Amino acid sequence: MLSGRSLFIINVSLGLLAMLLLIMFVGVKLPTLGQAQYVLDKEEPLCMIEWQGEMTSFYDIDRCCLQAREQLECQAQPKGDLDWMCGAKAGLQIWLNNKAYNYCRQQPYW
Amino acid sequence: MRNKKKRDGVQSHSVQLKVLYGLLVLVLILGCLNIVKAKGLLIPQQKPVDVKNKVVDLSKMTMEQKIAQMVVVVGDKENYWPWRNMQLGGIHLFSRQTEHVFNNTIVDFQYQMAIPFFVTSDLEGCVTPFGFIRQFTPASEIDTVDKAFAKGVEEGQFLHKLGFNLNFAPVVDLKDDIWKCRSFPGNESEISELAQAYITGLQTESVLATAKHYPGKTLIVKDPHKYVVAAEIGKKDVYPYSYLEERGEVKAIMVSHIITSGEINSEGIPSVASKKVMDDLRAHFDGLIVSDEIHMLGLKNYYHSLDEMYVAVFKAGNDVVLNFDHDPNEIYRMIQIVKAAVQQGEIPEAQIDASVTRILKAKGFTVVRN
Repeated sequence: MLSGRSLFIINVSLGLLAMLLLIMFVGVKLPTLGQAQYVLDKEEPLCMIEWQGEMTSFYDIDRCCLQAREQLECQAQPKGDLDWMCGAKAGLQIWLNNKAYNYCRQQPYW
Repeated sequence: MRNKKKRDGVQSHSVQLKVLYGLLVLVLILGCLNIVKAKGLLIPQQKPVDVKNKVVDLSKMTMEQKIAQMVVVVGDKENYWPWRNMQLGGIHLFSRQTEHVFNNTIVDFQYQMAIPFFVTSDLEGCVTPFGFIRQFTPASEIDTVDKAFAKGVEEGQFLHKLGFNLNFAPVVDLKDDIWKCRSFPGNESEISELAQAYITGLQTESVLATAKHYPGKTLIVKDPHKYVVAAEIGKKDVYPYSYLEERGEVKAIMVSHIITSGEINSEGIPSVASKKVMDDLRAHFDGLIVSDEIHMLGLKNYYHSLDEMYVAVFKAGNDVVLNFDHDPNEIYRMIQIVKAAVQQGEIPEAQIDASVTRILKAKGFTVVRN
């Protein structure tokens, strides 16, 4: 049998959970851990396009994210300052650092 | 005295237990409601559109149905029901492992739809969601009209076989500093001829082509410190569009978020939301005007809220709006916001009707008003 104190703690936790679920249900968007991680990461987001061995910086991070998302998958693959490779092994590849990858993952289309 | 304390303790315990059970039930209900909502199952289903012998009576379509026809979303299976229930205009497919998976997804989505979806892709040769399945010749390596036509036919056959009917290609930007493979080689005149041949080839295989990104200069290196991108557009940049429009084959043109000056002046507004840019384009092009995906910072940063952005993009005159938000509730909300703007007279109903008519005609329907 649960003690009164334990019951109190469980009830307060459930109450908070219910409140969070209610907030989510009415559509209020709360900041996420991913967003906090992105803000705390002081690195610059980096996106590079590799085509036939040539790497070019791509500063339009949103378009970069969308093109990366269109690929089948992004694999963790360290290469210099870059951490993620999106695309097939043959053909064009999109490279992202962790900051850019975390940013991309927060986009509504990811 | 001791008995009273014990009795109070038992009573308090019993109250806490009742609260616990109540909260458990509440959490369970709210959890279920959240799941149902996230899956888009709380979105009301539209009544079926009355289609007879490929004829659609526009006057029998609700405003929601009309606006929904103008929206292209990401065709993920998890949103199968909400996208179908809302009767959206199109689905855009990201990469998949095999041709079979592509084909199955498309067949499932199209099953018994009175008005089928546009099924769209970004197959440009080097930029492709089909990299795991097949490699295509990049546009940068196409240097003759015959090769461009053959590329159009090859990509058209491939897309048609899978069930796609609208491709967001060719790119007719004159310069491609970033990708180095998306644009055809040559000057504006050569690029236009190659693009025209590609379009003919692609459309021969029943896949509509989209020239992009109007009015040009979207593939140049951008200032990393500016979120809203601006460019000076010259006569050469828009030449491919006038060339393609004159030949009358290109069925769609995609407009970018770039703020432009010069030959095409968006007056400080992102092109895709600029009524002036759209009206100028519309003056000599009667095909589909397609927006670039609307969640780019270049567009989003310009507006205080998503609501404002939604209205601006529809009001400007886009026929097809790409919104790749995965959340079906957000897509439904966008439709409601645009519907309210139409009801308040902010967006003319005739403009929506004209867009829907173009879309339905592109899908092979005859449009009437009885």
